[in-house]
Amino acid sequence: MDWGRIRFFLSEVWRNFTRNLAMQFTAIGTVAVTIVLLGSFLFTREAIGKIGDDVLKRIEISVFLTEGATPAATRSLAARLSADPRILSVEYIPKAVGLRRMRERLRGQIDTSLLTQNPLPDALRVRVRNPDTVHAVAASIRALPLVANVEYAHDAVEKLLKLSDVLGRIGLGIVVLLVLTAAIIISNTIRLTVFARRREIAIMQLVGASRLYIRMPFICEGLLDGLAGAAVALGLLELARVQLLPKLAVALPFIPMRVGTVDQLALALELLGTGAAVGIVAAWLSVGRYLRV
Amino acid sequence: MSLRSRAENSCNAIARACFRASGPNADVISLRGVTLVYPNGTRALDGLNLEVAKGSFVFLVGGTGTGKSSLLRLLYREQRPTHGEVTVDNVRVDRIKRSRVPHLRRNVGVVFQDFKLLSDKTVWENVAFALQVTGAQTKDVIRQVPRVLDLVGLAHKTRMFPSELSGGEQQRVAIARALVNNPKILLCDEPTGNLDPANANEVMDLLHRINLKGTTVLVATHNALVVDRMRRRVIRLEDGTIVADEERGFYHLNGNGANAAGTPAPLRGSHGLGTNPLLLE
Ligand SMILES: Nc1ncnc2c1ncn2[C@@H]1O[C@H](COP(=O)(O)OP(=O)(O)OP(=O)(O)O)[C@@H](O)[C@H]1O
Ligand SMILES: [Mg+2]
Repeated sequence: MDWGRIRFFLSEVWRNFTRNLAMQFTAIGTVAVTIVLLGSFLFTREAIGKIGDDVLKRIEISVFLTEGATPAATRSLAARLSADPRILSVEYIPKAVGLRRMRERLRGQIDTSLLTQNPLPDALRVRVRNPDTVHAVAASIRALPLVANVEYAHDAVEKLLKLSDVLGRIGLGIVVLLVLTAAIIISNTIRLTVFARRREIAIMQLVGASRLYIRMPFICEGLLDGLAGAAVALGLLELARVQLLPKLAVALPFIPMRVGTVDQLALALELLGTGAAVGIVAAWLSVGRYLRV
Repeated sequence: MSLRSRAENSCNAIARACFRASGPNADVISLRGVTLVYPNGTRALDGLNLEVAKGSFVFLVGGTGTGKSSLLRLLYREQRPTHGEVTVDNVRVDRIKRSRVPHLRRNVGVVFQDFKLLSDKTVWENVAFALQVTGAQTKDVIRQVPRVLDLVGLAHKTRMFPSELSGGEQQRVAIARALVNNPKILLCDEPTGNLDPANANEVMDLLHRINLKGTTVLVATHNALVVDRMRRRVIRLEDGTIVADEERGFYHLNGNGANAAGTPAPLRGSHGLGTNPLLLE
């Protein structure tokens, strides 16, 4: 390892970077704003996505059987359903169990002791592997003999699927626009640095520096802009998480923001990676355009 | 240009070929039928032929706008000829790929009238820069920079900034930078253009010493004093062609009444253009 070489290179990068500090701060600020919005978006989507997943995973199809279903016939029906690859689990709930569970669920709300006989039919509780197949599975179960009725929360399923889809599209659009803005500002910053350093560049070309060597400090400058912007954004997001989210949770209790379910380390790495990538790509493109080497 | 001077050019070329080693490597620079037309239509060089022997010292003289700088620019691939062949150190530099240009430039040092030093770097840093940006190892930087600074006589001013140096010293820093990669060829475009006579002589003495160590040196200049003092090969350009080419020549040609030093005129190669109307066509 030739530390002298590395130190010289880094000092050149630093010279580039500090040549035009006002512009660097603009670039870093733009990246920071972009990443904050991208982060909030990813966070919200992730949180809603997680909630949606939870709901979807808990979606069950309640299959109520006809009065005449014998336990043997019921068990063979359950076995048949279990064999369906779309179905995750089938639980047999005799009417006695169903009643007990209902009593537990409604304790304190309705006086179930008034019930003199069990009004519930025997039932099967079916869970599907993939929430998208709920409709189809329910329809095919409904067509089977012994099945009196099929119930599931299909509205909730559809709304959740739609919401995450729409959010995804809007978010993608905003992110693309923001990333473009950040890239343009970084590339403009690099252009100014190229201009400020034209004497050095001319001498480098004269004494035989390679194209890659001449470009490298500018690429590093873009990388630095991107990383610094992302770091600032991460700080702001963390501040928002600590200061703002608890207040938001109090103000909007009906939106179950489950911060704990979002993988924050992965999100931070994603954001830093995005900042770095935007910086490098913007610098690469602009250096090619403004540095005719 | 005149037919006669063309004929004498070739005579000179033959004469030169006689007293130097022949073979494919003897010429370190060779231009054949070189024409350079700039994008705006200016014809800077026009069917120019030139051979420069390895280790020689050559002055390029001629009025302003006659193509001296343009000729030098072809040699370090700042320009490509519109027509013709440019060979430097056995490489067809008009043909090489862009990615090979850095390699050529490490083999050809270039010095300009305006020094082109970096004002925010010290003498040492300016010279080291040429090595560092070409990816040299630190141990080579530490070895080579003092060597060239010693060669140009600035070993005691390594920590100074260009603004703290005289013009002559600045030019010597620029020469040190051009030499630090050990080039075979040193090109100088009006190296004494900004210097007083004392500093100009100092710089020329330095170039002479560098030439004695084996580096081929080409100097484009308007400075008659230094040319006449050195008595080396002088090539005179006019309108992008060579109108005179003499070993041990003078800045002004015979018959121009300008041999101020009173040195005896060479026996051949008088091109009194402008004084003898018979020679003009
Ligand atoms: N980049 C350029 N684009 C267009 N024309 C140019 C360019 N550089 C030089 N020229 C023209 O080419 C011709 C030769 O120029 P060059 O600089 O080679 O002359 P020179 O002998 O070095 O002159 P001087 O002694 O004044 O430095 C001139 O007519 C000049 O105007
Ligand atoms: Mg010139």
